[in-house]
Amino acid sequence: MASKARVSPPKSSSGHIIRDSALGLVPETIDAYLALNESIWKQGPLSAAEVEMIRLRNARTVNCVFCKAVRYDIAKDAGLDEDTVQLIDEDYKNSTLSHRHKLLLEFTDLYLQDPRQLTDQLKTILLAEFSPQELIHASLAVVLFNTFSRCAVALGGMPDELPLMELSLPS
Amino acid sequence: MSWISSHESKHVIIQELPIIGNNFEQFYDSIWSISQLPATTLELCRLRLAQLHNSEVDWQQQHQPIDQQKRDALAHWDSSTVFTPAEKACIEFTELYAMDVAAISDQQADAVKQHHDDAGLVALIEALGVFNGMTRLSLLWQVSDTDPLNSGSETHGE
Repeated sequence: MASKARVSPPKSSSGHIIRDSALGLVPETIDAYLALNESIWKQGPLSAAEVEMIRLRNARTVNCVFCKAVRYDIAKDAGLDEDTVQLIDEDYKNSTLSHRHKLLLEFTDLYLQDPRQLTDQLKTILLAEFSPQELIHASLAVVLFNTFSRCAVALGGMPDELPLMELSLPS
Repeated sequence: MSWISSHESKHVIIQELPIIGNNFEQFYDSIWSISQLPATTLELCRLRLAQLHNSEVDWQQQHQPIDQQKRDALAHWDSSTVFTPAEKACIEFTELYAMDVAAISDQQADAVKQHHDDAGLVALIEALGVFNGMTRLSLLWQVSDTDPLNSGSETHGE
């Protein structure tokens, strides 16, 4: 992974965490990104706690140090505690996570690894636990999170590790 | 029919969540409006991702008109003479992005920046994330409709 940043962020400083980052170099997409991000967290059928589980599973798979270090307060407020977060690792299937949450992570993994591996049996199990709208929500959430965690990795400049940071959603 | 919906089109399936769906489509449209890279270069990169993921649905879509000669040569872009050096730098970056984003070298990133500056590299990486996502959705949802998301202003595939 590149330890040196590959681009310089915008010279102007707005005080906005996203607009002042490298993403600010492409202003055409920022408003749409922020609106989509907020709606993924607040307007879908999955809880913010479940959205955070998808985000963290993606963060750990992509190995985005920034993404792994962040905890969103909206998810904590929805009941996701750090003990549960620590279960979202390679051995989650043998953890004490609920059946629903294990399935949610398995669905996320399918997207991240090989969507072609989805079996008829797993489709049936997923549809018994989740509504189609919940699965569409999960799908679009992982598309968004994966897009920007890969972005962070590709742009370089990440430290090897960071302390945990509790953040609010960018407005 | 997709297993996740009674519809065949990603556009229609996404709209089953109207607020998120509209925001997703606006974000997708914004990718095609970026000024830092030619839309035709983005389309070549999107098509290369479709090839690498073996997604026929995404390969058949056409978001921007591309010379048929370039479409035909895309799988062998490295040895082809129909692509510009700027296009080749972006296509090479796309291949690495698809295989292992952490393995992209400074040299490969610099090759994109040589033609499109810092902003062009960020724009390419954002666009690849979205194209990668759309291709994976096609495979995950098992859709067969080749209508692109922004089909209102698009021409269709071959």
